[in-house]
Amino acid sequence: MPDTGGTGLKLGQKVPDFEIKTYEPARGDFGTFRLQDQLAQERWTVLFFYPADFTFV
Amino acid sequence: MGCDVVTVSTDTEYVHKAWQEHEKALARVRYRMGADPSGRLARLFGVYDEETGLALRGTFIIDPGGVLLNAETNYYNLGRNVDELLRKFKANLYMSRKAGEVCPSKWKDEGDRTLTPSADMVGRVHEALQD
Repeated sequence: MPDTGGTGLKLGQKVPDFEIKTYEPARGDFGTFRLQDQLAQERWTVLFFYPADFTFV
Repeated sequence: MGCDVVTVSTDTEYVHKAWQEHEKALARVRYRMGADPSGRLARLFGVYDEETGLALRGTFIIDPGGVLLNAETNYYNLGRNVDELLRKFKANLYMSRKAGEVCPSKWKDEGDRTLTPSADMVGRVHEALQD
């Protein structure tokens, strides 16, 4: 069974920087998302995890 | 103030592309689709299921300073309500501009009643929500 968020991240604390590869439908191309870029551009981020493509989200 | 939604699953970016191009319901998608095949990001946020190699339905709101303000996880069988996510985001955005105010459970949008906790409100939350 997965836990429910007990890996060290806590509300009210800074999320460590991370980057992931992306597919970007708006450009029809691949890219990279970096949390650092969001901070530099003073933008909010909503991360939306889901189990698998080709299923309901 | 801008906000970016990034969806994340343990599929690769190549599978994301194939899915987005095939599924008619995703034809108008403009958000970035993140690939986390190693599960590293899902583990960081505590939503990785080691038995299946999949990520649970976790939603996380991070402010422009990189601070985690909201975390919510649903198990496999429960979808998320976008209206509720939007409510939480709007509330966080509002509160980031209005230090001292808090948004009660029924708060939906700017203009709705907020509370400003103080010693006077102790034991009088019901009254504060009424007037």
